[in-house]
Amino acid sequence: MGTEIPLLEWRQGRAAHRRRRAVAALLLVVLTLLSAWRCNVDFHSFATGIGKGVSLLELFFPPEWSGVSEMLQPIAVTTVIALIATLLGMCLSLPCALAASSNIAPRPLRLAMRSFIALERGLPEIVQMLLLVAIFGLGVIPGLIALSFSSIGMLAKLLADAIEEIEPHMLEAVEATGATRSQVIRYAVIPQILPALLANGLFRFEFNVRAGVILGAVGAGGIGFIMMTAMNSMNYQRACMATLLTLVLVFVSERVSDSFRARILDGGALR
Amino acid sequence: MLQVSNLLVQLPTGKRLVNDVSFSVGRGEFVSILGCSGAGKSLTLRCVVGLTRPTSGEIRLTDPRGKSYRTTSVGAKELRRARRHIGLIFQGSNLVKRLTVLENVMLGRLGHIHPLRSWLLGFTDAEARQAMEALDRVNMASCAARLAGSLSGGEMQRVSIARAIYQRPLIYLADEPISSLDPRNAEAIMSILQPLSRETPVIGAFHQPAVVARYCTRVIGVRAGQLVYDGSAQLSSRQLERIYGDANSETFAEETAAQPLLFEPGLQPALHPSLSSGVPV
Amino acid sequence: MTPEVPAAALPSRKFRFTVISLIGAIAVLCLLFAFLGMTPASFGVDFRFVLDVVQQMLPPHLPLLWNQKSILLSLVDTLAMAFLGTVAGGALALLLAFFAATNTAPHRLVRLLARTLLVANRSVPQLIVVLVLLIAVGIGPFAGLLTLIFGSIGMYGKFFADTIEQADKGTLESVESVGGTRLQTIRFAVLPQVMPSFVANLFYAFDYNLRAAIPLGVFGGGGIGFELAFANGLLHYKDVLAYTILIVVMISGMERISDWVRRGILTQPMATR
Repeated sequence: MGTEIPLLEWRQGRAAHRRRRAVAALLLVVLTLLSAWRCNVDFHSFATGIGKGVSLLELFFPPEWSGVSEMLQPIAVTTVIALIATLLGMCLSLPCALAASSNIAPRPLRLAMRSFIALERGLPEIVQMLLLVAIFGLGVIPGLIALSFSSIGMLAKLLADAIEEIEPHMLEAVEATGATRSQVIRYAVIPQILPALLANGLFRFEFNVRAGVILGAVGAGGIGFIMMTAMNSMNYQRACMATLLTLVLVFVSERVSDSFRARILDGGALR
Repeated sequence: MLQVSNLLVQLPTGKRLVNDVSFSVGRGEFVSILGCSGAGKSLTLRCVVGLTRPTSGEIRLTDPRGKSYRTTSVGAKELRRARRHIGLIFQGSNLVKRLTVLENVMLGRLGHIHPLRSWLLGFTDAEARQAMEALDRVNMASCAARLAGSLSGGEMQRVSIARAIYQRPLIYLADEPISSLDPRNAEAIMSILQPLSRETPVIGAFHQPAVVARYCTRVIGVRAGQLVYDGSAQLSSRQLERIYGDANSETFAEETAAQPLLFEPGLQPALHPSLSSGVPV
Repeated sequence: MTPEVPAAALPSRKFRFTVISLIGAIAVLCLLFAFLGMTPASFGVDFRFVLDVVQQMLPPHLPLLWNQKSILLSLVDTLAMAFLGTVAGGALALLLAFFAATNTAPHRLVRLLARTLLVANRSVPQLIVVLVLLIAVGIGPFAGLLTLIFGSIGMYGKFFADTIEQADKGTLESVESVGGTRLQTIRFAVLPQVMPSFVANLFYAFDYNLRAAIPLGVFGGGGIGFELAFANGLLHYKDVLAYTILIVVMISGMERISDWVRRGILTQPMATR
């Protein structure tokens, strides 16, 4: 049927492929060795580290059970920070995403918005935190701003990609009734991306909980702060308790997020 | 009444996709545009509704009172105003899948609703009742609360028609409305469009001359962008040849069959893309 | 007689529902803010103070980036941490995933153990991991690297396990039916199917780990994060801003590069077998 590859070409193709694979493997090995060197990978220190780590971990137990009740409030604080950041992220990412989509926004706006979104995503939360603490001082506000900002960035990018994937026929059909662009957005774009918005939001919530812990350690409060101060004051049993509570929080947030996401992706699609 | 005058769509390379096409459509007509894929059928319809900007030419819609609307060389606002009076029925899925059937129908009169009202209030119950009437006409009233994405192809097409009916336009445009449907559903659609055409003219691009011969009042034939036939819907084989080209070519055999052909002995088998997805020109 | 509009689809009903949800959402948001003790007043900032600090930050001390070699080296350290953390962590994650997948685990109990380990690993906060490792192996990129490896195992182990479970059963059975051992089944039936997703995920993991390496550095894990925190502690805000710009450029740039390389690798036709 004309789809046979002559034997010689096939052999040459395979040889070329093998060469490519060898080069890639070599590159991988070189980069690995270089990275190991820069990271001071030292198996001796690793071995002694295990010893030190284990004896340190022994100091963690038993966890400070009595501290549970007072640690519940910081856990709630971290959760609430993550929640607010996620909600604000979801709300504000929608207009950003609309402005960043090639099928909705004019080119200059789209380029500007995409750059802004790249900035929001390229600035790690902790860096934002350090800068914001310098301006606003310690407390939840810098943490909220940092997390919200990053959330908007990530959600806006995902949402913009989803918007660009909407079948153009769908948008054209609404446009052809004489609708304005904003009506096309209201009735064609938003209903189609709503599941994506919710699913991404839930995913971001999981991430925000973890990030909230870290930001807490550098001044946003919450359970991260408790953990940090406990470790600094060598109160390891307290740190252990804080860790256990955080573990539960992260686990629960993941379960909740997964189950809601499964429901959205199933139920929304068919119904 | 629709008046298309000297429509020209020319690519920057100089190739003319629609070459000086003129025709008009009046009351009571059920016009069908016939031609091969790439002949310019869909492109002409897209120009009528303004989804594609023609290089030159004029397209004018006139209502019974004499008020006229243009879709060529007009600003966005006038284009929207003209579009209110054109009921477009696409082929395939162009309902908003995540909206209900009823909401999809109500989209038909978005041109008459101020965007602020759309955002703040949405639709009204009165509009919903009128939309139900339109759905009833296509026998889809029972599916009003279902999500459009859960419907079959034939059902979606009927909802598309309901949307166009609800729009109360001056003319219906149908871009290959039955190409992706099986024969039974296709017949159902045509038997809805035909009575519709008696009150409001319908012009559609079709692939199937046999079906067209049974339902349409008039045929416009295009070939390579040019108008080659404008007359009765009963086409002789010579007239078909004029529209579709050489009678021995594969395209001719496939295009003129009432049923899609997958393989015929003696001819080169070729799965024409138009038989499955029909990307309009 | 035209049928009635179904109650569920009545626009007025939907409108009421939307308004109530919106009000509810705003109420929830206000409650959450109140819980944190934040009132509209707390958003008021002393603009003079803000301006003062911002003035201290501008202009960013950019020459630092090319004059001081150590800065570029610490950037390389961060990249190295992310790279090795992804490669090693990904490999270990894949290994553990084979034990955690229903179709490749040697025994049900092993699978249960592997899955539990993955869940536990994923839930442990990176903060405590890095703090413990800093004590165990000392300050520097090694602690950061080990933290990243640890984190990657849990994060990607689950995903790989799910992917392995989705491998086509027919291919597996055909290898087994000609007498292949479990290892051979894995090598010839499962691995080729899992590879593309594995490789793609490694790239995403690299992007993620690169970002995660920064806070690890802030806590002492080396790399550019460490330099940033150091300058911040000294209140050298112009340096801080310069490092910030460097970090943003690095992250955005690496994301593009990794995207480009990933596309290049994954669209290469696999060997004609």
